[in-house]
Amino acid sequence: MIDCTAYRRALLANPREANPELAAHRASCRVCALYTERLLGFESRLERALQVSAPDHAQPTRASRGWLAMAASITVAFVIAGGLWVSAPHSSLAADVVAHMAGEPQAWARTDVAVPSADLAVALADARMRLGAGAGTVSYARSCAFRGHHVPHLVVQTAVGPITVMVLVHESVSKVVPFDEEGYRGVILPVAGHGSLAVLAKGQAVGRSELEAIAARVESAIVWVG
Amino acid sequence: MKDDAGGNVKRARFQALCQALRPDLLRFAFWLSRDLALAEDVVQETMLRAWKARESLKDEAAAKPWFLTIIRREYARSFERKRLPTVDVDELIAREEPMLATGQDQEVAEVRAALFKLPEEYREPLLMQVLMGYSTAEIASQLELSTAAVLTRLFRGRKQLRALCGEDTSLDPDS
Repeated sequence: MIDCTAYRRALLANPREANPELAAHRASCRVCALYTERLLGFESRLERALQVSAPDHAQPTRASRGWLAMAASITVAFVIAGGLWVSAPHSSLAADVVAHMAGEPQAWARTDVAVPSADLAVALADARMRLGAGAGTVSYARSCAFRGHHVPHLVVQTAVGPITVMVLVHESVSKVVPFDEEGYRGVILPVAGHGSLAVLAKGQAVGRSELEAIAARVESAIVWVG
Repeated sequence: MKDDAGGNVKRARFQALCQALRPDLLRFAFWLSRDLALAEDVVQETMLRAWKARESLKDEAAAKPWFLTIIRREYARSFERKRLPTVDVDELIAREEPMLATGQDQEVAEVRAALFKLPEEYREPLLMQVLMGYSTAEIASQLELSTAAVLTRLFRGRKQLRALCGEDTSLDPDS
């Protein structure tokens, strides 16, 4: 068992460290438990402090022509892509989510191993979000092409098995959309100001209310950063 | 024609990646340099260099560390070019006031000012951990340090930062 000094030293190096030895010490030492609470409060201040609002477009201080050309081509690409999307036929959102599952069967593995934080951050970047620890263990994270955008495709390990979550910031729904399609059961929830969240399980063993509870837990763990 | 279409898709994908990562990269460069104009220059140069070297990015999942390596290198180059004189931190804070503004949130304002005063050797690993979400091993790899050295810097950095913010540090270990 580690002592108070080692505990506090480890905590100052990483207040979010999920180490069973640290948890055991915290459970047995009231002073260190209070210390942890204060340190996590400070950590939250630090996280908020770092989130300065990044200007959308760089000021042309000494911007090179190359960059301006690249920025112009980004705009053109978005306009073209936007035009194509508007003119494309819209199929059922749930059907498209289910169809996407077929392309990544390896994502459904049961495991305790979380994806590295840097990989998770990349997968979430397209949706301009982060994911707090409350979401549970994320065992799979990819940024996937879906309906003309790249969206986070995650698998969260839960007590009822692996659950897939797709963060669909470009897809709005007006109310909860439950579905049972092609051997998948799921729900699509509206997320105010950020499109929707599709949450689904393989098979019919997981009930809708459980899926909705998992969806609510994941949604509350999302921190929108852009 | 087919190659052109493939090239356009790749370019659009790469540009979308740049767009998605830009806010975090700009924040990282800003907190590292404590200078928004310099940070914007560094990010622009980083995007250009990344575009030129895009073929070397084999796995998109590795994009963030790949960009971070480029931005750190570019920041070092800019710093070298500018040969910044010794800076008065209070002047820096005053200059970057619009970026540091927090409205009524005095607690956050204190932390922002303290971050400006924190030495770079402590500030950089903290940024990687808290802002970029890196593990200790990933930070060690970027900074070419041992994990023990990174943990020491994180420990000292957080300790100093708390002291600068007037937090009660009486229970903090000495070293």
